Amino acid sequence: MRVVFSAKGPGRLLQRLLLVLLLCPFLSGRSPADPTMITQDANQSQGNSLTKMQAELNESSDNTSYEPITRTVNWKTQDNSPDDLTLGHSVSTPDITTQELKQAANESLSNGTYVEYEVLLPGVSGTSVGKNITLSSATRIELSCKLDKKYPHLRGLQVTWKRGNETIRHINKTENSWSIQLMISDNSQLGNYSCTLKGEEEISAVFFLEVPKIETKEKLIVSYERDTAIMICKSSYAPISWTWYMTNGSEQITINDSLLADKYVISGISANVTQLKITKLTKEDDGVYLCEAAFELGKSKGKLKLKVLSFIVPLKPFLAIVAEVVILVTIIFLYEMYLKKKEKRAEYEREFDQIEQLKSEESNGLENSGPRHRRI
Amino acid sequence: PPDGGWGWAVVFGASISIGFPYSFPKAFTIYFKELQAVYSISYSQVAWITSILCATTYGGGPLSSILVNRYGSRPVVMLGGLLCGVGMILASFCTSILQIYICVGFITGLGFALNLQPSVIIIGKYFLKRRPIANSLAMAGSPVMLCSLAPLNQFLLDNFGWRGSFLILGAILLHCCVAGALFRPIGAATASVKTRVTEEGKAALEKKVTEDAMEMNSPMNIPMENKTEEEGGKNCCEKINQYLDFSLFKHRGFLIYMVGNVLMFLGFFAPLVFLAPYAKHTGIDEYSAAFLLSILAIVDMFSRPTTGIIANSKWMRPRIQYFFSFSIAFNGTCHLLCPLASGYTGLVIYTVFFGLAFGMVSAMLFETLMDLVGAARFTSAIGLVTIAECCTILLGPPLGGTLIDTFGDYKYMFIKCGAVMVLVGAFLFIMNYYNYRMLAKEEKERKAKEEDPESVRTENEGRNNWDKETTQGGPELEPLREEQEGLKKQVNGT
Repeated sequence: MRVVFSAKGPGRLLQRLLLVLLLCPFLSGRSPADPTMITQDANQSQGNSLTKMQAELNESSDNTSYEPITRTVNWKTQDNSPDDLTLGHSVSTPDITTQELKQAANESLSNGTYVEYEVLLPGVSGTSVGKNITLSSATRIELSCKLDKKYPHLRGLQVTWKRGNETIRHINKTENSWSIQLMISDNSQLGNYSCTLKGEEEISAVFFLEVPKIETKEKLIVSYERDTAIMICKSSYAPISWTWYMTNGSEQITINDSLLADKYVISGISANVTQLKITKLTKEDDGVYLCEAAFELGKSKGKLKLKVLSFIVPLKPFLAIVAEVVILVTIIFLYEMYLKKKEKRAEYEREFDQIEQLKSEESNGLENSGPRHRRI
Repeated sequence: PPDGGWGWAVVFGASISIGFPYSFPKAFTIYFKELQAVYSISYSQVAWITSILCATTYGGGPLSSILVNRYGSRPVVMLGGLLCGVGMILASFCTSILQIYICVGFITGLGFALNLQPSVIIIGKYFLKRRPIANSLAMAGSPVMLCSLAPLNQFLLDNFGWRGSFLILGAILLHCCVAGALFRPIGAATASVKTRVTEEGKAALEKKVTEDAMEMNSPMNIPMENKTEEEGGKNCCEKINQYLDFSLFKHRGFLIYMVGNVLMFLGFFAPLVFLAPYAKHTGIDEYSAAFLLSILAIVDMFSRPTTGIIANSKWMRPRIQYFFSFSIAFNGTCHLLCPLASGYTGLVIYTVFFGLAFGMVSAMLFETLMDLVGAARFTSAIGLVTIAECCTILLGPPLGGTLIDTFGDYKYMFIKCGAVMVLVGAFLFIMNYYNYRMLAKEEKERKAKEEDPESVRTENEGRNNWDKETTQGGPELEPLREEQEGLKKQVNGT
C-alpha cells in the first residue's frame, strides 16, 4: 500500500485520485487544525484529470442561484462522529489508518496545488491595477507582472515586489515580466502584494490575496412568531467548518444546535452551503446572525438580519383593505337601489299622468257625447 | 344594448376582474425563491403552483359558463372574488407545500375562473357598436395590474415576509368582489322588468277603460302563467343545452376559432416566459432583463386600447377576423426575427414589437369570438374554448423549455413559436375568408326565401336601427335582432 503514496512519476495523478476517494469519509470527522483536509483545486487550476467526485465538488461551487443544490451529499458539522459515511453515492473505502493518511496528505502538501496569476501593467504612469485572488487552502502561488510590448519606452526599468514595507525577492521570468513565488500556508501570509515599476512616475499592480467571501441574503429576513426561519450562507469554496453566532447587542453567542436541538437545526445542504433553521421564533430571536466559515487560511463571516414580527403587523393593513372593499360594495349596491327606486317612481308617475289624461278625456267625451278620440 | 352609460363602469370593473387572473401568476413568481428556501424544494416543484393556478383558471371555464347561464354574471364574479381572497388568506397559514398547492392553486384558481369568463360575457351584453373598444379596454387591465402587482409584491415581501404578503394579497384580491358589484344585470332581466311594467300599465289602463275591478287581476296573471308553463316542459338534453350550449360544435365559425386559438396558444406565452432568461443568456444583466419585461408591459398597455379603437372603426369592424389573423401572423414574424436581434438595442426593439403584437392579439381575443358566435351563445362558447385552450397554454412553455434544453440554444424556441403563430395566422385568414363567403351566401339565400312584406319591413327597420356596416359583421346580429323583434311584437301586437 505504501507504493501508492510515492510522490514521483505517474503516481501523482493516481495519488490525487486515491486521496480524494479515501479522504471523503474522514471529512466529517476532521478538526480545523488539520491542514491537509481540502485538496480541492481552485477553479483556475490545471486539474484536468479530476475524478467524478471532485468534479461534482467543483460543480457545486459553480452553481449559480438558479438551481438549488439537490444532491444528496450531506456535510455535517465537526460534532458528528467520523463513522458516519455521509456521502450520497456509494464509494468503497479501503481500510486505511489515520496515520498513513496524514502522511500522505503531508506529502501532497509539498506537491500541492500550484496557481499562477499574471497581470498586465498599464502603460499610463501614476496608475495602479488590482486583482482579487481568493484562496481557500494552502497553495503555492506565483504572481507575475508583465509589461505589455506596446510600451517599449518603459523597458529596462526595474520592478520591486513589496508586501507592505517588506521587499520580496523576485525573479525575472522573461525580459518583460517579473514574478514572485509564494507558499501561502496560513493567515498571516494573506494580504496585498504589489509590484511597482519605478520610472518618472510609479506604475504598479496589486494582488489582493484573501479568503473567500460568504454570500448571504442582503435583505432583511422577515418571519413571524411561532414560525420557522431559515438562513442560508453560501461560499464559493468549501470551508473546513461553519459556525453560527447570534449577536445580542455587542456580545456574540455561539449557536450550539446539539444543546437546543428543538430550536436550532444547523444543516449543510452541501459543502459550500450551510443552513440554520430556527423554529418556534420569539421576539428574542430578532437580531443579527453571523455565519462564519473557517478555511485553512483564515475565517470569513457573513451577516444576516432576522426580524420577527407578531401576526398583528400584517393584520392591520389586511383589515383596512377588507373594510374598504366592504364599504365600496355597499356604496355600489345602495346607489343601484336608489337608481331603481327613482326609475320606478318615474314610471309610475308617467302612468299616473297618462291615466289622468284619459280620465279628463272621458269626462270631456261624456260632456260632448260625440265620437271618442282615443289618444294614447 | 346601451353601448355606454353604466357600460363604462362595467368596463372598469371588468378590467379589474380580468386583470387579476392574467397578471397574478406572473407576479407570483417573486415568491418562488422564498418558498423554495422555506420548504426546501426545487424550482420545478415550486413552479407547479402557478401551473395549477393557470390550469384551474382555464379549466374552470365551463363551470363558470354554466353558473353564468343560470345565475347571471354578478353573483358568479362576487363568489369568485370571495374564493380568491379566501384561498390566499388560507395560504398564509399553510405549513406544507401541498397545502399551498391546494390553497393558491385550486381555490384561488377556481376563483379566477369564476372571475374571468363572466367579465367578458357581461361586456358582450352591455356593448355592441363600441364592443371592440370596450373589450380592449377591459383586457388592458392585465398589463396595468402586472405593472402594479410586481413591485407591490416585492414591497410586501420585503416588509411582511411571505406569510404577511399572502394575507394582504388575499385582501387585495377581494377587490374582484367590488368589480362584481358593478356588474349590474342587463339584457333579459331588464327586458322582463320592462314587460312587467308595461303589462301593469296596460292592466291599469284596461281597469280605467272597462271600469271593472274584478277583471284587472286576470290579464296580469295570464301572461305570467304562460311563462312558467313554457319553462316546465323541457327534457334532459335541452336542459344541458340551456346551461352549456354544445350545439356550438356545429357552428362553423366557432370551430374555426377554436382550432386556430388552441394551436396559437402553443406559441403565445412561451416567448414571454423565456424573454428574461434569454436576455440573461446573451449576457445582459438582471436589471436590464427585468426592464425588458416592463417595456413589454407598458407597450402592451397602450397597444390594447389602440387596437380596440382601430378594430371599432367603420372600415375594420366587418373585417375584424382578418385583423385578428394578421396580428397573430405579425406576432409570429416578430418571434422569427428575434434570433437576428443582436445586443441590447436589438432586444429592446424586439420587445417593443412583441408588446405591440401581444396587445393586439389579446385585445381581440374575445371580441372575435363574440363576433363569430353572437352575444347569446357567447356564454357557453367561452367556456368551451377556455377548457380546450387550457391544454396548449400549459404545454407551450414546457415545450419551449425542452427545446431549449435539447438544443442548448434559445433560437429554436423562438423559431418554433414564430412558425406556429404564422401558420395559425394564415390558417385563420383563409378559413375566415371561406367563412365570410359562406355567410354571405347564406344571407342571400335567406333573403330570397323570405319574401313576406312584413318581415321585410321589420328587417328594414332593424337595419335602420344599426349602422349599415355592422350588418356585414356576420351572424352575431341575428339573435339580437330576433330578440328585439320579439320584444316589439310583444309590445305592439296586443
